[in-house]
Amino acid sequence: MLSIKNLKASVEDKAILNGIDLEVGAGEVHAIMGPNGSGKSTLAGVLAGREGYDITDGSVTYRGMDLLDMDPEIRAREGVFLAFQYPVEIPGVTNMYLLKAAVNAVRKHRGEAELDAMDFLKLIKEKAALVEMKQEFLYRSVNEGFSGGEKKRNEILQMALLEPTLSILDETDSGLDIDALRVVAEGVNKLRSPDRAIVVVTHYQRLLDYIVPDRVHVLAGGRIIQSGGKELAQELEQKGYGWIEDQAAA
Amino acid sequence: MNDIVSRYLEQFVAAGPDAGAAPPWLREQRDAAMAQLRKHGFPGPRDEDWRYTPLKPLAGKAWETAATGAADIGGIDDRLIAGLDSHRLVFIDGVFSSDLSTTALAQEGISVRPLSVVLREDAGALPDTIRGGIDARDGFQALNIAFARDGYVVDIASDSKPDKTLECLFIAATAGKAGQTRNVVRLGEHASASLVERHVSLDGVDALVNCGSRLLLGAGSSLDYHLVQTMDSGVNMISDTEADLGADATLRILTATLGGAVVRNNLQVRLNAPGGHCDMLGLYAATGRQHVDNHTGVIHVAPHCTSRELYKGVLDQRARGVFHGRIRVDRGAQKTDATQANNNLLLSANAEIDTKPQLEIYADDVKCAHGATVGQLDETALFYLRSRGISADDARSLLTFAFVNEVLSEIGVDALAEYLGEGLARRLIQHG
Repeated sequence: MLSIKNLKASVEDKAILNGIDLEVGAGEVHAIMGPNGSGKSTLAGVLAGREGYDITDGSVTYRGMDLLDMDPEIRAREGVFLAFQYPVEIPGVTNMYLLKAAVNAVRKHRGEAELDAMDFLKLIKEKAALVEMKQEFLYRSVNEGFSGGEKKRNEILQMALLEPTLSILDETDSGLDIDALRVVAEGVNKLRSPDRAIVVVTHYQRLLDYIVPDRVHVLAGGRIIQSGGKELAQELEQKGYGWIEDQAAA
Repeated sequence: MNDIVSRYLEQFVAAGPDAGAAPPWLREQRDAAMAQLRKHGFPGPRDEDWRYTPLKPLAGKAWETAATGAADIGGIDDRLIAGLDSHRLVFIDGVFSSDLSTTALAQEGISVRPLSVVLREDAGALPDTIRGGIDARDGFQALNIAFARDGYVVDIASDSKPDKTLECLFIAATAGKAGQTRNVVRLGEHASASLVERHVSLDGVDALVNCGSRLLLGAGSSLDYHLVQTMDSGVNMISDTEADLGADATLRILTATLGGAVVRNNLQVRLNAPGGHCDMLGLYAATGRQHVDNHTGVIHVAPHCTSRELYKGVLDQRARGVFHGRIRVDRGAQKTDATQANNNLLLSANAEIDTKPQLEIYADDVKCAHGATVGQLDETALFYLRSRGISADDARSLLTFAFVNEVLSEIGVDALAEYLGEGLARRLIQHG
């Protein structure tokens, strides 16, 4: 589904990604772990089409398409979803309005009829219940005055509504207490299916207790320096990142 | 510009006395105004109040004031606001058209009439402030007093309220013409009303609109007043609005500028007795080479009054905006609470805004706050919306709309809010 080959990217002439190779197949959940500054968020941003990165080499193919050649909105409509590490507050735009515009943009792209207000309301109530979000949050401005946990729930609500084929969760666990973490993880797990893939970017192992990955990759210095099964995450939790970086340097 | 004034003088002489029997006080006013214009001329670029606004489009030629008898423009159906059930007076080039207006109101205590009719039939009913000596702040007002023969006169008796929104629709229809009107709104004690004054034009017309309005609010009265400017890009406009509030009166005034070439709005509100409150809302969206200048002032004369001012503007392409907000708190006006904000969104590197707050406070127990901001669309918010499948153009419009929505959401006439929202969206998408 997703094939990253020798991806190199820099920000303001500073190289951040130094040749990433990653294959994610349909139905798989991959975790990308790594210390701060290893390039995790840059990788997530590059995949979603955030501006400000220079792609200096390599390719990213998503379902046979050149992902890097697509505008962010086209990526989204083709089923790529990024859950933001820092969801953006948008005063004056209600959450409901954003969600409806997003759902209908994706439906239109797929050649499906746009949902009318009634159908949408029904759908959103169902999905909001899934992430245990109170109705009042739907009518407030997007993320404005939301707590950290509420913002992350809102990301997962969007994800549940858009039903993406490839989801990228960028540090979705940061700033969450244990209850919120569980709710968010359940929301993500409901989306697991044989034709969808999920990439979980995280610094800590705890989210992976709830969203159990098929593969774990360690990112350091802009490269994947080790890959393994879910047990690799536990090893990292016990030993920290130092040993693996030393091993890679040796 | 002296030759412009002489040409106005020629027009003034040629027009002769008012059609019908103009009351003597009005003849005197017109003569005095013309004399003032001859003596002082129009403002120049060195006048502090006109530093940022080009005068040539406004005063560079002698516009011809339309004669009596409204021009025939066919229908006005496509210029109405959907869903706005109003009692409506229509003026073409500043001249009342009874054909296009709704029939006279038959509600007790409510009188909505064209100035031309009032002058002919009932001039004594005009308030002293209109009949008194002239007090024209500048050449444009003098011009207005010298030439205006029409406008609207609204009288709401004490404890009365019109059962519909009052709408005064001004259409600039003839190239080279000046629509000059004087308007009066008077509310008795505890009266209330909602009024929409709209300025539109036929496509491609270059014209001048020069209007002056006096709003007189009796004790405990409440007025929602909306000045809406959606003229085509060839129409220049000067509006001059003065409001006087009695005790416990409330004025909510909106100035919305979506069209026109050079538009200058003067607004002055005086809080003359305790308990008065005014909300001054402004909304402007300018593009191309449009120029929108809002000069506002609120004078706290009496203690225990509140005023709140919020002007929001979006400027695209080479558009220019000017905001001047003055708050004056007189010596006796203790316990004044006044706020002012002017927020601007620049969508292009060539757009420009000059914003200037001015506080003059002569009392020592008051609360006054002001702030001005100038910014661009938030790039991270744009990316956030795009990453949810919303196109770049739609995302820009949505964020721009969200910016002005703070003002739109305060408009009490739903149909008008919707009309302005759609007008804004159209402008923003067209030029986004």
